[in-house]
Amino acid sequence: MDGIRRVVSGVVRAPFTRRAWRELLYCTAGAIAGVAGFFLVLFTLAPALFISASVLGTVVGLLIIVAVLIMARRLGALHRLLLRRCIGYRVTAPAPFQRGEGVLGRLDRRLRDRDGWRAVGYAELKLPVAIIQGWAVVAVGMGLADISYPLVWLLFRHRPAGTRLGPLIAVTPVPDIQVAIDTLPGTLLAVVLGAASVLAGVWLARAIVIADRRLARALLGPSRVSELERTRAIAVEDAAAALRRVERDLHDGAQVRLAAVAMNVGMAQDKTGDAAVRELLDAAQAGLSEALADLRRIARGIHPPVLDTGLADALESLAASSPIPATVRADVARRPSPAIETIGYFCVAELLANAIKHSSANRIEINIDTYKPDVLRLRVGDDGRGGADPSRGTGLAGLAQRVSTVDGSMSVSSPAGGPTSVTVELPIRMTGRGA
Amino acid sequence: MRVVIAVVLREGLTRLLADRGHEVSAAVGDAEALLAQVRAHRPDAVIADIRMPPSHTDEGLRAAETIRREFPSVGVLVFSQYIETRYTSRLLESGAGGVGYLLKDRVGNVGEFVAALERVAAGGTALDPEVVSMLLRRPDPGLASLTGREREVLGLMAEGRSNAGIAAALVLSEGAVEKHIASIFGKLALESSAGDNRRVLAVLRYLGASA
Repeated sequence: MDGIRRVVSGVVRAPFTRRAWRELLYCTAGAIAGVAGFFLVLFTLAPALFISASVLGTVVGLLIIVAVLIMARRLGALHRLLLRRCIGYRVTAPAPFQRGEGVLGRLDRRLRDRDGWRAVGYAELKLPVAIIQGWAVVAVGMGLADISYPLVWLLFRHRPAGTRLGPLIAVTPVPDIQVAIDTLPGTLLAVVLGAASVLAGVWLARAIVIADRRLARALLGPSRVSELERTRAIAVEDAAAALRRVERDLHDGAQVRLAAVAMNVGMAQDKTGDAAVRELLDAAQAGLSEALADLRRIARGIHPPVLDTGLADALESLAASSPIPATVRADVARRPSPAIETIGYFCVAELLANAIKHSSANRIEINIDTYKPDVLRLRVGDDGRGGADPSRGTGLAGLAQRVSTVDGSMSVSSPAGGPTSVTVELPIRMTGRGA
Repeated sequence: MRVVIAVVLREGLTRLLADRGHEVSAAVGDAEALLAQVRAHRPDAVIADIRMPPSHTDEGLRAAETIRREFPSVGVLVFSQYIETRYTSRLLESGAGGVGYLLKDRVGNVGEFVAALERVAAGGTALDPEVVSMLLRRPDPGLASLTGREREVLGLMAEGRSNAGIAAALVLSEGAVEKHIASIFGKLALESSAGDNRRVLAVLRYLGASA
């Protein structure tokens, strides 16, 4: 019994809470913005899709689609603002849009703007939601009007007997239910109807606001995929930065100390006249040399220092130590992010090592360019005997796998008899594509 | 000899050079201070790390290029933990004489290190044996025809050694070294002509292949 009482009192008291009025405020604003946004997006997107399907209008159509996507993102921001201001519900904004490079790159990025398309989805799905929100507001409004009828009657229906007046019409949000009232006691029925209408409106508003919140979080917040892409990009760059730090620490720490020891041992060698001591110092010096060489090799495997001055320099240094003549042609207009440079460097290093080991080539060519917007392309080609097969042996397959961790791709052309050409494409920097 | 140094191993190196009777006019920690000190002291030679603050990339190398340009008479010995052929060619592009590029390990052999520094100060070259061996791995038609002994001689020439130095290193007579060198010039098709230092040309043509 007690439980039922509590539920009933909760239901009845709802209209008197702050929360209910905030929700109604949100429903009012959300309904207006939602209906307007729906038609705005629909009436621009539909013709744009239609135009872009035709041969002549493709460009215009695509440009309008881009405009729609930008508008949808703005509308999404407006809806997030309304949610926050009216009912204090926060939806995290998706990552800001990342502009592409060049006209085509920018267009491509825009059209693939996953968060923009999700905002379009919200604008379109919002219509039924907005209608229900509007209806809830109307129900409350009408209910309040009905509740005021006894007062209206007393104030304005105080006429001498015999005066004929039309009945008062008690309205409800259901169009068919209208009650004509022509006596003062009859207004009590209007009050009951009104109270029911207010209650219904308030609870309907609450339900639809919960649904709208879910919808907004799913479509106006960061998407799972872009979130994963973003955090993966951070993880990859962090890992690259950590490796650089390790290399730098080695360089400024252990390597310097060992060199200092080597210098002191050298001075001792210089000064001693004792042959036995000299012999010991010579051995110490030889050990130090080996230790330093080991450290150099390790550091180079972690992060080749020459990468700091750019991928082209690093690859030239790499090519210079190749026993098969290797040339580097680099045309890199925009410097890739450090992580991509590192991955690109080790890709080329491995491809070069493969070519040296297996190709019996006379020449190796290394090309890097950024002709494709936002793409760093690395190509290692040789005039050797070909027959490199990514499905056999782990080298190329492992490389393809490593490249794919940053959304890169690798293609191999190596017919038996050669020539071999392996092309690796990496995004110039790690970002969620849709973000 | 007066030297300005810009290396991490400042104190030790200052002591080492003082032991050998050379004066360290200034010991600094970054490229900007190095350039200022070179302008102030006009030393005979400079020793600089490649990586220096603030960015720890190639400041020292850039400073070396500036010094080579502004003060051609100052010998520059670049000092690094790594040998990068790209750095070698950048250094050599700034002028063939008066430059050196050594691994830091080389300070362990005080005698050779100081000799290399003196050579650089006198306008010669001092390339790390690592640079030379890296370059020697490169196939080159002229080079392919050299005998093993001739390669060794060319390598030592590239390091910047004199005939006497090469003879001592290979335990040969100076006459034998001269014969090898003549043969190298022949195989690399370097004609004798007045004014040209074929020795430098041989090394340069050879190193130039990497530039």
